[in-house]
Amino acid sequence: MSTLRLQGVGKNFDGLRAVDQVSLEVPQGKITGLIGPNGAGKTTLVNMITCLLSISEGTIFLDDHNLTDALPYEGARCGIARTFQNIRLLPEATVLENIVCGFHLKEHSSLWSALLGLGSSRAEKRELEALAMRLLDRFDMRPFAGLEAGGLSYGHQRKVEIMRALATDPKLLMLDEPVAGMNDAEAEELGRIIRELASEGIGILLIEHNMRFVMQLCDFIYVLNSGSLIAQGTPEDVSQNPEVVAAYLGGSTC
Amino acid sequence: MMQFFLTYQPVLDHGLLSLGFAFSQWVVLRAGVFSVASAGLAAIGGYSAALLHLDGGLPPFVTILLGAVLGGLFGVALAWPLARLRGVYQAIASLAFVQIVLSLNLYAEGITRGALGVDGIPKLVETPLLLLLSAGLIYLMHSVNTYRLGRTFETVRQDEAVANSLGISTIHFQTIAFAIGGVIAGLYGGLTAFHSYHLDPAQFGFEFLVAALSFVILGGRRSVVGPVIGTAVLVILPELSREFGEFRQLGYGVILMIVIVFMPQGIADTYLSWSRKKRLASQQEAQ
Repeated sequence: MSTLRLQGVGKNFDGLRAVDQVSLEVPQGKITGLIGPNGAGKTTLVNMITCLLSISEGTIFLDDHNLTDALPYEGARCGIARTFQNIRLLPEATVLENIVCGFHLKEHSSLWSALLGLGSSRAEKRELEALAMRLLDRFDMRPFAGLEAGGLSYGHQRKVEIMRALATDPKLLMLDEPVAGMNDAEAEELGRIIRELASEGIGILLIEHNMRFVMQLCDFIYVLNSGSLIAQGTPEDVSQNPEVVAAYLGGSTC
Repeated sequence: MMQFFLTYQPVLDHGLLSLGFAFSQWVVLRAGVFSVASAGLAAIGGYSAALLHLDGGLPPFVTILLGAVLGGLFGVALAWPLARLRGVYQAIASLAFVQIVLSLNLYAEGITRGALGVDGIPKLVETPLLLLLSAGLIYLMHSVNTYRLGRTFETVRQDEAVANSLGISTIHFQTIAFAIGGVIAGLYGGLTAFHSYHLDPAQFGFEFLVAALSFVILGGRRSVVGPVIGTAVLVILPELSREFGEFRQLGYGVILMIVIVFMPQGIADTYLSWSRKKRLASQQEAQ
């Protein structure tokens, strides 16, 4: 079983301490939650795990892979995939094209063959499109394959983004506020998909504001406030922790 | 018919050579690099092809190929600093490179023959060869666009953070774009040298650079037909408007502005995305 391990991770932005001494674990096959008020440092933490941001101190490991000083594109190569807080699709490309982008690491035809349009490139294109169609089927989105991604509804765009992340064949999937702006029915469907992915053995790190969604879904929750972890435990433990209630839940324990 | 062809052959040749430079510019823009280095790389290709033949005694078509290789090598060398810059900084840094090449053409008199330029280059490049090369180039660019390179370039161009999150190394693919663009610019620089008897040190200057950029912006930055249409329009238009004399440049500028305001994606790309939207809409209605 693969596990993502953060040990004493910190991030300084010119003296501003955005993340301080965070240690956490995201095991494969489980849904781990990361919650906290706005500005707590959640997205900074995700950007550090995906190697987009450099780390000021501490270490990040995915099993034996040391990701502490990895380059921005190396995270995906070790098996880390993510979605973005503000959905980031290629809006002018079709849904199918957006998902095929995710298969970048599966592309093995040579550059010469891509330049000369040789058979191996043609075969690869067909093969990746077929794989993308399988993903679309799984998410019940085959009819949308040929549409422009930018024109889809919010919920559908989220699903396309998740499919693109899954195309990289990740061991760990980080979802940055996946249900923001979704209605209950859409959120519920997404919850079902997330559970399914976890049961297939993908480790899920869920960064979310929607408390009900987090409490229903997560096996284990970390609470971040002003850059530091203030609590961790099962959803029940966390929702009863007085410090969490004071910092975040504001008296409501729904 | 023959008479017509002979009258316009110089225009056709000029258009075919321009198409090469347009594609050299297109391929780097395609990968999200705002570089105008093509002009400098074309100068390197042109000068080395001409001088290696005249002073080095190598056969012409060998030197044209060497010019292309040098263009590619300089392209890769440029990618090292340029792929680490973004947007307008890339444009300024690549412009500086073009300036360096131009001043070497002018001041390194011992090698480049200075302000007088290079004379006495044999004319070996004729229309059929240019037509053949253009067809080949269009095919190659079509492949670039259709298979993995185009897909990756598009991702890098539209959103670098997404590209990184999918395991794409931006620097790697922008370097590839620089290499392809450099080889094309170097090759067509050499072809220009062996087409027009003479190389002028200012030939690959600011005007050249703006022309290459306009071909792509006017025609379209994503599709392969974009540069073809842009080049055709901007090469044919001045011919058609010959009788307007000094107002020609004015008309040229006005047309460029109108197209950019009303079709910001360029003529071909605007048309393609419009026809695609229409097709999708009719499909949805059918469902």
